[in-house]
Parts: sequence; C-alpha cells; structure tokens
Amino acid sequence: MFSDCLDKWYICGLKRLKRVLDKQLAKRSTAESDLEDNVQGLADRRPRRRRFTIKAHIYIVFVVSLVIAMSIGAALLLTMFMMEKNLHFIETANKYVYLVYETRDRESDYVLYGKGLNESLETVRKLEEIVLEHYGDLKKNIDYENMVRNIEKYGKLLEDVEELEGTPQAAGFAEKKEKLKAELRKYGSEMLNAADVLMKKEVESTDKMMLLFRLVHIYALVFLFVFILMVLHLLGYRVLRSLNRFASYTKLMASGQYMNIVPDNSYSDEFYDLSLAIDQMLKDLDRQQNILAQSQKLRAVGTLTAGIAHELNNPINNITLTAHMLLEDYNDLPDEERLDMVKDLIEEAGRARNIVRNLLDFARESETIMEPIGLGEVLKETLKLANHQIKIAGVNMDLKIASNMPRIHGDRHQLEQVFLNLILNALDVTVKGGLIKIEVAVSDEPNFAAVKITDYGQGIPDHILHHIFDPFFTTKAKGKGTGLGLSVSQGIIAKHGGQISVSTKVRRGTTFNVKLPITTIPADLDKRSETAIDTQMTQPVL
Amino acid sequence: MAEIVKVLLLDDEPIVGKRLKPAIAKLGCEVEVFEKPTDALKRIAEKEFDIVVTDIRMDEVDGLEVLQHVMDRSRRTKVIMITGYAMMELARQAMEKGAFDFIAKPFKPDDLRAVIVKAAESLGMSLQDRS
Repeated sequence: MFSDCLDKWYICGLKRLKRVLDKQLAKRSTAESDLEDNVQGLADRRPRRRRFTIKAHIYIVFVVSLVIAMSIGAALLLTMFMMEKNLHFIETANKYVYLVYETRDRESDYVLYGKGLNESLETVRKLEEIVLEHYGDLKKNIDYENMVRNIEKYGKLLEDVEELEGTPQAAGFAEKKEKLKAELRKYGSEMLNAADVLMKKEVESTDKMMLLFRLVHIYALVFLFVFILMVLHLLGYRVLRSLNRFASYTKLMASGQYMNIVPDNSYSDEFYDLSLAIDQMLKDLDRQQNILAQSQKLRAVGTLTAGIAHELNNPINNITLTAHMLLEDYNDLPDEERLDMVKDLIEEAGRARNIVRNLLDFARESETIMEPIGLGEVLKETLKLANHQIKIAGVNMDLKIASNMPRIHGDRHQLEQVFLNLILNALDVTVKGGLIKIEVAVSDEPNFAAVKITDYGQGIPDHILHHIFDPFFTTKAKGKGTGLGLSVSQGIIAKHGGQISVSTKVRRGTTFNVKLPITTIPADLDKRSETAIDTQMTQPVL
Repeated sequence: MAEIVKVLLLDDEPIVGKRLKPAIAKLGCEVEVFEKPTDALKRIAEKEFDIVVTDIRMDEVDGLEVLQHVMDRSRRTKVIMITGYAMMELARQAMEKGAFDFIAKPFKPDDLRAVIVKAAESLGMSLQDRS
C-alpha cells in the first residue's frame, strides 16, 4: 500500500521533470528567433519571459530527490520484510526436519529394541502442532494436505501399534505387528520426503531472496547515479554556464568595452535579474564616464580658448581697421575701393566665425555616433582645432597620412578629443621651434590602424609611467591640468575596441601609439551597435 | 620745414597694411608696408626708418627679433609693437628691450596714429595729428 503510494509520487515527479526538460529543449531551439527579438529591442522582449528561477529549480530537484530517496527506502523495507518472512519459513522447515528425523529415530529404536514408542508418539504430536501452527509458511511451499495426512496417518499407526502392544496375546499379533511396522516405515519415509522437499524449497527461497535484495540495491544505486548526473547537468550546467558567461563579460568590461549582457536563456531567472542589474550599472558607469569625458573636454576647450581668443583678434582687428577707414574716407574713396572694403569686412567676419565654430562644434555635448570615418580627416580636424595653440607654442607639426588608409568605425568627436589630448600634451613638452610628428598608418597588428604621436621632449621617467593613465594623475602645475586627459582618452579608445600604448626614453622623447580596429569589426558586434542606435539607446554599445 | 617721418609697418595680415598705409600717410608720413618679416628686415638694413610698427607674433620671425634688429641698426628709431591680449608678457619684454610703446589688437586707426604722433614728437619731429 505504502509502496504503491510512493510509486505514484515517483511517477508524478518524473513527469514533472520531463515537462521541465521539454521546456528547456523547446527554449533552446527557439534561441535563434530570440536573437531576432533582440534586434527589435531589449525592452520589448523583457516582459515576455517566463519565470523559472534557480530557486524553483532547486526546489524541484529537492522534492524529486526526496521522493526518490523515500522510494528507495520503501523498496529496501519491503525486501527486508520479505527476508524476515523467509527466515520464518526456514525456521519452521528446520523444526519440521529435525522432528521428522527424531520421530524416525524413535521408530527405529522401537523396531530394533522394542522401546521408545511413547516418545515417538510425543514427537509426532509436536510435529503435528508445528505443521498446524505454521500453516501459512508451509502451505505455499509444499503439498500441505498430503503432508498433514501423512503425519496423521503416521500418528494413527503409532496408536495402533501401542494398542496392539497392549494385547500381545491376541491372535495374529506377530503378523499384525509386522504389517504395522511396514506401514510405519512407508509413512515415515513419506514424511522424510516432505522434509527433503522443504529443505530444497528453503535453499531456493533463500537464493531468490538474496538475488532480490541484491537487485534492489543495484537498481537503487544505478538510478541514484543517473539522477545525480541529470541534476548536475540541468542545474550545475545552467549555473556554471551563466557564471562563465558573466566572467567573460567582466573581462570585456575591465578592458572598457561596455556591452549589453544578453541573457541567453529564454526564461527569466536570478541570472537574468543579475544581467539587468549589471546592464543598469553599465549604463550608470557609462553615463558617469561620459560626464567625466565631457568635463575633461571642456577643460581642453579652456586650454584652446586662450589661443583662439588671441587668434580671433586678427579678423576683429581687420574688421575694426577697415570699418574705421571706410567711415573716415567714405566720401573720398572710389566705389571700387569701398566695395573692396566691404568684401574684406564680410570675409573677415566669416573667418572669425569659422574659428569659433570649430571649437563650439567640438565642445558641445553630443551623442555617441559610431560611423565609418577616416583617421586622416580626424587628425586634420584636430590639428585645425589646436592650430592657434600650436602657433603660439611655435612648434612645427609633421603630419604623415599613409595613402589608402582603410576607414575605421568610431565616433568622430570622441576620437578628436583623444588626439587633441595627446597633441596638447606633446605641445606642453616641446620647446619653441621643436617638432611633433604624427603618423597615421596601418598597424603591425592585423586589422588595426595606428596613430603615432611623437614628441622630442624630456620623456617620462619610469616611476611616473605606471600612473599616466590613472584618473587625476598629473605632472602639470596646479590649475593647468586635470589629470583626466589620458584616463578619459584610454576609456574612449577602449570603447572603440582599441588601445593606447606609450614608449618613452628619458631626455629623448615619447611616442603615444593609438590602435583602432579597422574594417573587420565582427558582424554581430557591428549589428548590436546599429541596433543600439536604431532603438535610440543612449548607451554606446560596441 | 620739418623732415618727413619715415615709417615702416610690418604685419603678416595683409589687410592691416592695406588699411593702415593710407591712414598713416594722412599724417604726412612716408609709409612702407611689409607682410613678410624677412623682406622688412632686408629693407631695415638698407634704410634708416624713424618709426617701425611691427606685430609681435608672426610665423617666420617674431616681433622681438625685428625689434632687436632695429635697435642694432639705429638706437634712435622708435619701435611700436602690436600685440594681442594674451601676450602682455611679450609686450613687457619688448618694453624692456627698448620698444617705444605697444598697442593691443584690436585697435582703431586713430589709436595707432596717436602713438605714431607721440613717437614723432619724442624724436623732435612734428606731424599733423587729425585726431
């Protein structure tokens, strides 16, 4: 009864497990269509996920394990019970065999020496008692009625013999006695046969029980083993795979490449929650980095402003002079001359506007727009921005751009900011009349473009070199540098999937090498970034 | 009749020379205008000017070097420097080296004319300042 109930539980548990398995398999096969959903935007997909948490998973596994453990326990109990019954039978059979042998001993005593008849009767009575008492045990293993009949007959014969012994003088005593003795031997041997059968049955049933016992143990072990493997596969694999995925994401994050963590299970669980939390964290981090980058940019703009303000003086001076002379000599001048002066005014105003526009375009806060751009153009634009600063410093710029440069995938303004930082740094360490070399070429590393900015200044000593990319680290005088330039630049380049390296020799100069990936941006990453732009997400995704 | 005041004007912005030449000429000066410092230096070597007006920041040779050349050539020549706002330090250096005065961009033609008149007076020459 109890084991039936257990069986039902067990079957129910298995069915549930099967449902879970089916669900997982179905979800995995729809993973591709899920990826397409991804393109439609993360926000759409999120509420549609079915909830199947690891907690629930563990509960299910626990309940199923409990059911299985109880079933195994019940099976063992059952076999124990059967063993006990078998032991009872063995005991009965042994008693029977023992008594039969004793009875036969008494019988032969009587036949040979003519005594012990009473004892013989006594043992037969005992035999009868045992057989009647253990009806249940014997009934299953032997022809019970025949057995009882034999014993009764034997008992009757003994009584007859006793009666005959009471009247030794009766006629035909010897003949009758011989006849009864023969009958006694016959039934005695029948009883012995039954004892043999019992012995045989005893051995058989013991063997059977041992086999059953062994099988139950083996099956329980095998089933447990398979079940544990399944649990390991389903739960362990699920947890470990997610952990591994997160580990690889954190590696990417450490190198500055913030990308959305796309949960690959199509149901929502704890890892899904975690990925949402990390996404949020990345968004916040990215926003903070953008704020930092923007503030650093404004500082750079501040540096440029002095040069630009000075440079603005030239067109304004030209306008002032021309306008005053026009006013002064208006009536004396020929029309031609007046026209020429007005044209000069317009031209100089345009010149002033251009000087300011470049700077404002660079300074304004802009969204990240990843597009194919030529590094050469970016460098030229950057030099235009820094032009006045370069003139004031009296430094010569040597810009070399390799022909047929492949385009790179990036944000124009962010890259301008990086190169401006590097150029302004180089200007700071270059003496008047010195040289700064800028080379734009394909990198030694395949699929990378490289920009090398070389100055011939004092170089960077070793103890400082480790810190130059640290935020707020600066060697410049108070109020001159924020210490954010290189740190922000590194962040921007990492987001572009590139890297900045530096080689320097004290008193010889320093080269900053910026490597950026060209043409072969992996298709899926490329797609992701487009997706991000399509869905108007502010978070830059590589 | 006083001697004619000889003025040399050097600025790498062509419009400055173009507009200031007639403006200064009105004072009764003899004006020569240059855009390239090298050309101007050559001319300074050839001829003694009474007044030299030069921009401080130019690509090839800066105003301080021009000042040095003029001082070497003739101590009596008055040098007027044109500066920008961001270059007060340079202006101070120029004054120390013997410049007569400096004038900051952007300036009006009259501002420069006033300085030129002052310079001519200090040379003992007279000009008709219209302002």
